[in-house]
Amino acid sequence: MHIVVHKAKCQGHARCWAQAPNIFKLDDEGYVLPGDINVAQEDELLASRAVRSCPESALEIDRTSAARFEPAEMQPRAGEA
Amino acid sequence: MALNPVPDHVPPEMVGDFSLFTSPGMLPTPDGDPQAATACVHAGPPIFYSPFNTRDGRGTWVITRATDQRRVLQDADSFSSHRSIFASALGENWPMIPLELDPPAHGVFRSLLNPLLSPKRVTALEPAVRERAIALIDSIAASGTSCDVMQDFAFPFAVSIFLRLLGLPDHRLHTFVGWANDLLHGDDVKRPAAARTILAFIDELAAMRREEPVDDFMTFIVQAQVEGRRLTDEEVRGIGVLVFVAGLDTVAAAIGFDLAFLARHPKEQELLRSEPNRIVLAAEELLRAYPTVQIIRVARKDIDFEGAPIRKGDYVSCATMIANRDSAEFECPDTIDLMREDNRHAAFGYGPHRCLGSHLARREIVIGLEEWLARLPAFRIKEGTAPIAYGGHVFGIENLIVDWS
Ligand code: SF4
Repeated sequence: MHIVVHKAKCQGHARCWAQAPNIFKLDDEGYVLPGDINVAQEDELLASRAVRSCPESALEIDRTSAARFEPAEMQPRAGEA
Repeated sequence: MALNPVPDHVPPEMVGDFSLFTSPGMLPTPDGDPQAATACVHAGPPIFYSPFNTRDGRGTWVITRATDQRRVLQDADSFSSHRSIFASALGENWPMIPLELDPPAHGVFRSLLNPLLSPKRVTALEPAVRERAIALIDSIAASGTSCDVMQDFAFPFAVSIFLRLLGLPDHRLHTFVGWANDLLHGDDVKRPAAARTILAFIDELAAMRREEPVDDFMTFIVQAQVEGRRLTDEEVRGIGVLVFVAGLDTVAAAIGFDLAFLARHPKEQELLRSEPNRIVLAAEELLRAYPTVQIIRVARKDIDFEGAPIRKGDYVSCATMIANRDSAEFECPDTIDLMREDNRHAAFGYGPHRCLGSHLARREIVIGLEEWLARLPAFRIKEGTAPIAYGGHVFGIENLIVDWS
């Protein structure tokens, strides 16, 4: 999963960090660090909860890029099929 | 009042019969639920004009939907936050900082103050907060099977944490609470008198810290630099007054509403007592259900907003309790579900002015509930008593007598 960070919208509520401190990093003032985030599969539930709790809608789950990655990963490996 | 309560540019059909000060459930009411009483506005339009919706009897536009409140509060170019709420009680006109500064000046002070109340900083304060909660609750437990949550716990807890932050001694706690009470809830005589007292106190404190610096908030402020210069006296005052006023009764009110809810809901109380790791999430739902402030902005220009002709200088109200009961934002908003996950509540506002103390407030609420539930048995509202709750500019609860005999 890929999360788009709209840094300009972040107002430092730190809801994302409270839910998933390992995924969302804050600067010294308490605002989310810039730069989009790739989330490992086992962290997806936590990350999407965090996205849904941002009051400013500053975080967005990018489904299109997920779709871009998946087909490649789903290529049959040698020996399969 | 000399003012025409409804300005000429407001179409009569946009005037709504609702006010956070005068509607049913807003005046002090035994067993009242003022936050729930605001939910009636959702049956109406997204915006209406309420003729008396401030302490001084002025009208405001009322924004009823969470997404529209977000739009207003994020748009500082159109909606100013400068109202001189405090200074106007003295017939003066200077901003509390950073609340009443608009961007870009706002950002300069916000950056100065943010690190003092950042999540990281609050984590460092946590042991002291917990120690204070434990001391108060243990002494309550030792002294009987009943207490007034507001007097014996919520106020002394919240206020002493914040006095410690400011570097002020605990023994003046009752004096400070008295000042805040007069300022926030007093009449036309008490309010300006309290404002003058607080101002003199802040000025005196600043002067003392200039002379003899110690390791505290006010010393930091008088020594701080913005844009390569020291702060002016008026800026120091603007920050001091805001921190003093904002820290005094909001967290206490929140803890009061939360414990009142738990006193009335034994099942929920038991759930949190037996599974304390749920308290963090539950506290967010309680913040959604029982927020305490009405946020007001002043239009900086003429704007048509969802069909309403807002004119320059009009007040626009974003009541957090109204946003938090919006069914477009929250599923079953009138149900208090301590396990609710999707919870972008507005208790701390939206936009650049998002409550600077929100991280500390949250931790105080969570720690207060954790220690209360860990140290006291099942409690309920004491028979024959009824907590008095009220609306207004800051919602609150006057007394909360609970019993665990
Ligand atoms: S929850 Fe949203 S506003 Fe808050 S720190 Fe995270 S991204 Fe920023």
